[in-house]
Amino acid sequence: MSEELCDLSATEISRRVKNGEVTAEEVLDSTLQRIRLVEGRRPSTNPYSPEGDDRNKVHAYISLTEKRARLQARAIDDAVKAGEDPGPLAGVTLAVKDIFCVHGTPTTAGSKILENFISPYSATSVQRLESAGAITVGKVNLDEFTFGSSNESSAFLPPVGNPWDPSRVPGGSSGGSAAAVAAGEAVLSLGTDTAGSIRQPAAFCGVVGIKPTYGRVSRYGLIAFASSIDCPGPIARNVTDAAIALQIMAGSDPFDATAAALSVPDYFSTIEKGIKGMRIGISPDYHKLKFPDPKTGEMCEQSVDEEIAEALSRVLDHLTNAGAEIVENVAMPNTRYGVPAYFVISRVEAASNLHRYDGVKYGYRFDGEVSNLRELYRKTRAHGFGSQAKLRILMGMYVSAEQYEKGYYQRALKIRTLIRNDFVNAFNPEGPYQLDCLLSATTPTTAFKIGAIYGNSVSMQYADLLTVPANHAGIPGLSVPAGVDNAGLPIGIQFLGPDFSEANLLRIGRSYEKASADEPWRRLQPKVLHA
Amino acid sequence: MPEYESVIGLETHIQLNTRSKIFCGCKADSWEDDPNVNICPICAGLPGVLPTLNKSVVEKAVLLALAVQADNILPISYLARKNYFYPDLPKGYQISQYAEPLARGGRLIIPSADGEDRVVNIEKLHIEEDAGKTVHQNGKRLIDFNRCGVPLVEMVTAPDIRSADDAAAYLIQLRRLLRWLGISEADMERGQLRCDANVSIRILGEDSLNTKTEIKNINSIENVRAAIKTEVKRQIQTVEAGQTIEAWTLGWDEDTETLRKMRSKETEADYRYFREPDLLPIRIDEEWLLEIKSSLPELPLARQKRFTLDYGLPDYDAAILTEERSLSSYFEATVKLSAGDPKTISNWVMNDVLRLIKEKKISAGGLRLIPKYLAEIIEIVESGMITRGTGKELLVNVEDKGKTPLELVELEGLAQVSDEETLKSMAMTIVDQNPKQVATYKAGKATILGWFVGQLMRATKGRADAKIVQSIFQELLDNDGDLGS
Amino acid sequence: MTDEITKEIFDYLVDLGALEIGEQEGEYLRSELNGQLRAIHELEGIAIDDDIRTTSHGIPYSRVIRAPLREDRIEPCKESDEILAQAADVFERYIVVPDIPSEELE
Ligand SMILES: [Zn+2]
Repeated sequence: MSEELCDLSATEISRRVKNGEVTAEEVLDSTLQRIRLVEGRRPSTNPYSPEGDDRNKVHAYISLTEKRARLQARAIDDAVKAGEDPGPLAGVTLAVKDIFCVHGTPTTAGSKILENFISPYSATSVQRLESAGAITVGKVNLDEFTFGSSNESSAFLPPVGNPWDPSRVPGGSSGGSAAAVAAGEAVLSLGTDTAGSIRQPAAFCGVVGIKPTYGRVSRYGLIAFASSIDCPGPIARNVTDAAIALQIMAGSDPFDATAAALSVPDYFSTIEKGIKGMRIGISPDYHKLKFPDPKTGEMCEQSVDEEIAEALSRVLDHLTNAGAEIVENVAMPNTRYGVPAYFVISRVEAASNLHRYDGVKYGYRFDGEVSNLRELYRKTRAHGFGSQAKLRILMGMYVSAEQYEKGYYQRALKIRTLIRNDFVNAFNPEGPYQLDCLLSATTPTTAFKIGAIYGNSVSMQYADLLTVPANHAGIPGLSVPAGVDNAGLPIGIQFLGPDFSEANLLRIGRSYEKASADEPWRRLQPKVLHA
Repeated sequence: MPEYESVIGLETHIQLNTRSKIFCGCKADSWEDDPNVNICPICAGLPGVLPTLNKSVVEKAVLLALAVQADNILPISYLARKNYFYPDLPKGYQISQYAEPLARGGRLIIPSADGEDRVVNIEKLHIEEDAGKTVHQNGKRLIDFNRCGVPLVEMVTAPDIRSADDAAAYLIQLRRLLRWLGISEADMERGQLRCDANVSIRILGEDSLNTKTEIKNINSIENVRAAIKTEVKRQIQTVEAGQTIEAWTLGWDEDTETLRKMRSKETEADYRYFREPDLLPIRIDEEWLLEIKSSLPELPLARQKRFTLDYGLPDYDAAILTEERSLSSYFEATVKLSAGDPKTISNWVMNDVLRLIKEKKISAGGLRLIPKYLAEIIEIVESGMITRGTGKELLVNVEDKGKTPLELVELEGLAQVSDEETLKSMAMTIVDQNPKQVATYKAGKATILGWFVGQLMRATKGRADAKIVQSIFQELLDNDGDLGS
Repeated sequence: MTDEITKEIFDYLVDLGALEIGEQEGEYLRSELNGQLRAIHELEGIAIDDDIRTTSHGIPYSRVIRAPLREDRIEPCKESDEILAQAADVFERYIVVPDIPSEELE
């Protein structure tokens, strides 16, 4: 399949649109054409069973906003004709994870409870990207309220298929985002990362995803899961595109008190500068993984997949050749507590954040007979939420209810500090390791089959084992593709750095990207493009 | 029957008078606005929104904490989520404070007529958002979010209050203080000051705390007094009948003047408080605290006391003059601009100025009759240039016309007719023209003298000194209309 | 292994969460919750020094990155009608809900 406009990088598209080589509308049409080719039937909340070519298609979009997109595209083309600056993302198509509010569009969070909600306002990130010339093509699927790591918990089915093998999951919760970008159904996507929800699907779909430092990007308009750890971030096909998007999204926001009042460095002034002399660490705690057996609770130990480990060692070679110094055996002893601590913190916050969905103000309201308000609440929530949302509500209630609460939440918050201390120690310029970043696999395995883990909430959560510590610590992480396994499934690696070190991570990522440009897997295309 | 005493603690909710709401830019005051007009995605609890804390809310709350001499204004306090389902609470949680409130400790002094001031200790003071309103109408439950996010201070007293009257006095003092500080309009009828009362009884002399009941949402000071009195009586009767007090929540029914038990909620309240992750801790550093402190005015009780000491005012006067901050400043400014006696000025302020304020429904600070003009009026009355009666009219005129007193005296020829020759000739004319009344006087009806005085006062439009006029007439009539020369 | 979250506790949680859950879904959810709790209990064995703080967020909000508080200015919102349009039942600009069983006076 020849390269279409929709396959170009954001940099290239905006260059061509700006100088009039192509119009934004042509880029949009190319993207819509690709969507028609690979999407398959539109996901819905109707009862679902797989049929026809469901398992050969991507099903990334919950809704397309074609009319709105066309207006945006024409406005950009008009600006170009009028000699005005259409912005750094001129004509770049954007798939917005359906957890962000976009004014005038259905914003569902992948849940039946918001199926009919039309947002009266736009998220800060969306508004900034659109102001920079990005064209929102539609809203992409996700795990319901981002509760999952496979996209299977969405109320909108068929589930998203991984473009590299649609019988497999794209990862989650930003699975629709990663899949859409990988399949050329958008040039950029806006995702969120609470336990790995940008990095894990980016890794599964062979694209780049960055989870910025907590507070680097405003959360305004991002429908909350775990407010103290949620992070919006971009997904792109290369590091430079991710940098452009982040550059635009980042920065303080009068609508988010937790957005850091810290100026955003120019990522492009450093991105090509290489990594000579940088200290990059690897840790055995990110290789040998401990997790409880979901049935018995017995602790098991397992290493990351061998093929992923091999990919990682090839990455190390490239980095060494590029002049970095590799620091081995970095001790990150609290890594294994990331998931259990997350089970507590995220559930307490999620249960509270889900209180507002009660059928009164917006979204789904139970339409049968009810005798009183309480019953309306119960019936609305019972029918509106899927089982993963219910699980999070119930666990949140248990670990915070007065009579059962045994200091779970306070204890988990302290463990969050322990996890952070591991990173603080690793990055401390006067500490034992003095790292610029820590490198690990993004995921212990490559994309698993649809249905293989879904339903087992403990195993599913442990898919985030390698990603969740950065969320607890609040630090940034960049996942980049680093090869494919024998089944042709993408492998991802992540660079984790100190607070607000995105510029460095992008520089390292870019450096690795250049160093590995000639590897044969770089020329592979997702399977759906050959169908 | 043993003697009982009541043990009362008050929980007050104070609406701060900020322009915008506590967590969004919506207009805070929705009085007489249509429902759901002052709402935005934030205060309506839409998916994805975040709160941002209004700086002025913290400043006003800290000002109150300083005014009640809080023992500890926490350098770092936290906002927390109080989770529960209720339709007037769009997020399903209220952003409030819990384990780390803005301030702890403090006291409010209730001056009392018997000279024994009572001290009511404040346990804690915190900020939070108000909920919306639910209305019953045509058999429907209707929700209005306009009030969602209006800033509140919750202030909780220790169980230090011993009578319904003292509870009312506490609220009166609190209301005076809030208006004095300019942080709340504190109108109970408008819900700007709300009160829940915790009431228990014990045998006088004991110091145990017994089971208490909570009376919710009492909406006037008179109702607070009545509700507590009723509840204390009920508790005494219950105990005397050998029954035990149960920890009920009660509502005061204004129309029937009765207390009624409120049904407990389906689920026992478990608010699952945790720190609000969408907001940073509230940090009040030394610098900011000093800045707020510098805006703390002299407080009403201190000023009241000072007025008695500095100006020799009776306590009654001082209390009335310091009822309201603007009035007290008005009085003091007048004193400073006038050579007159403070007590004389106090009389003018308490009678004439206060009447003017009530009629015009403005504050002393809003009068066109500024302290300088009042001082001038008092001065020309005292000097005899105009009569007291003219002075009182002049005062109203200055306010109505916005001209200076001296301008008006000039313009309307108000100066007293003090030239005796003029008065005498006018008096003679009156005597000449009214022989019937002169005859009456001659016949021994001396009281008709007043009628003659009145005629002349009328002729001078009251600008003559009645005493002088009276002596002129007396002389004239006693000497047969012939003024001795 | 005994279930930490018994049926009774589960029902209480369902009530607290304003949910309604059928038998079959309930059994599934309860077993998942108990599985997650087994993972959570791993945290109890961790030694935590007294000087380990609880923080509201992972990153410290030092003075340099803290956003200033919002100034007290009215920013009217033009979308109040759009917001109201999302409610399922509206009467004369009020949002309508069924009767509330609690807090009536007896
Ligand atoms: Zn608002």
